[in-house]
Amino acid sequence: MNILSLRFIFLLLLPAVIFLNCQLAMAGHDSVLELIHAADQPFDNMQIESAYQLPVKTVQSKESYQGGAFRVLARKDDIGRYRCSVCHTKKKSQARDGALIAHGDIRINHGQGENELSCIECHDRQDRDFLVDMEGKKIDFDHSYQLCGQCHFRPKRDWLGGAHGKRVTYWAGERVVMNCTSCHNPHSPAFKTKMPETYSLPLDE
Amino acid sequence: MDHGKKIKAPLETAGILGNKCTRRSFLRGLSIAAAAGSAGLVTGGCGSVASSEEAKLKWQEFFKKNYRLMTQEEKEATVERLERLAKLQRGLDIQMSNQEPINNVLYGYAFNVTRCKGYMDCVAACVKENNLDRRLKTQYIRLFELAPGQLDPTSGDGKYYHEVPVKDKFYMGVQCFHCENAPCIRACPTKATWREPDGIVVVDYDWCIGCRYCLAACPYWGRRFNWGNPIVPKDEINTKQHYLGNRMRWKGVMEKCTFCIQRTRQGKLPACADACPTGSRVFGNLLDPDSEIRFVLRNKKVFRFREELGTDPKFWYFMD
Repeated sequence: MNILSLRFIFLLLLPAVIFLNCQLAMAGHDSVLELIHAADQPFDNMQIESAYQLPVKTVQSKESYQGGAFRVLARKDDIGRYRCSVCHTKKKSQARDGALIAHGDIRINHGQGENELSCIECHDRQDRDFLVDMEGKKIDFDHSYQLCGQCHFRPKRDWLGGAHGKRVTYWAGERVVMNCTSCHNPHSPAFKTKMPETYSLPLDE
Repeated sequence: MDHGKKIKAPLETAGILGNKCTRRSFLRGLSIAAAAGSAGLVTGGCGSVASSEEAKLKWQEFFKKNYRLMTQEEKEATVERLERLAKLQRGLDIQMSNQEPINNVLYGYAFNVTRCKGYMDCVAACVKENNLDRRLKTQYIRLFELAPGQLDPTSGDGKYYHEVPVKDKFYMGVQCFHCENAPCIRACPTKATWREPDGIVVVDYDWCIGCRYCLAACPYWGRRFNWGNPIVPKDEINTKQHYLGNRMRWKGVMEKCTFCIQRTRQGKLPACADACPTGSRVFGNLLDPDSEIRFVLRNKKVFRFREELGTDPKFWYFMD
């Protein structure tokens, strides 16, 4: 073997040696991605006993996420004058200033231009205690995600999985997530501009 | 605007040894006492007014071990001592925990740069939850206002105070990323900081000597130094504390985001994620394939800040 072939072998081995050294420098533990890929068994979230008992009313969702069933925050209790059918009857209303004591203050700012929504596109014209989707299916106020999702299907897909919206208080325990209407005003769903809650001091440069 | 707002409530300073007694004065007093041969009354330089119980507790606290070397009994003993000392020194009824990590849990965080509106509720909640210094306005989280097309906070505005969100700007929050390969841990000369089995990088405040090597080593500005005794109004102190988390720090020690260890180990979301009104903050168990954070990693466009450094942070940014 002459000196040239030795040099050739050395050059071949050099990248391998450098690679191994880099590996050693990172050694000691697995990277996060390796740990994540290795973890394919579902975690028993119910084992964490402190993660129970929310002081809020929830309902079982009618759809499921990757871990199965989950719960959403109830909505009906937050609607000031639910049940709507108390006033919305076939009879003509006799109350003076009825629009003022009811919900005459609601301004719809949902949908743009020609596509601006009107009340009856979401509220059932026949049965005011329910919402209604484009196919005429009645939807409970507690399950408004079924209604919102017919247009906002991407946010809904993310919401089901957990990339949109948020869980209530706990990351463990039974999955309880906020409803669409917990954060968005259905009549004007965009977030408002406001002053920030606090401020940060300048970084020292 | 609360720029000029002064803290009016009675001020409380922190520290196991109280604000009148530093390590130095304690040792000075100790040597004097030893020289005088009064070994029975070893109270250091600050025992003149302190009760004998307080002095005894302080003495035991001074000679405790690094948290990682303590046995379960020793951990419980020190937590009990710290609760008692808080009562004796400041009349505070705190509940300190030394809760251990949960098996098969590795915490991870994802931040939605599309959804964040820059409201800073997270920062305010963090300050409250973690008993952060109100005087120097220590904050673990910093939100940057960025122009579109940029994904580096250094090019953004980290001190904005105006109506948010501003049109054509987006917001990106930076805090401790709890790196798996954390440079701060290797920089520490006293092994006062380490990564817990559930992935949280913590500081044993009693073993920190305040050299700030970790501060220099962190490429993400994730650590904060106590330049003075942190001041928190007494009625605002969060009494639910953890030994490695939000217990009161004192002058000369490092502190940092602990993913709210006192909350997360009980199954709760960190205070920032809980406070976020826009749902931009996703927190969960990376080892659970059904968790929200795993859904984000599987289905969204994610990136990690300065991933090329090899620090392997457990904090991802994603967009809708």
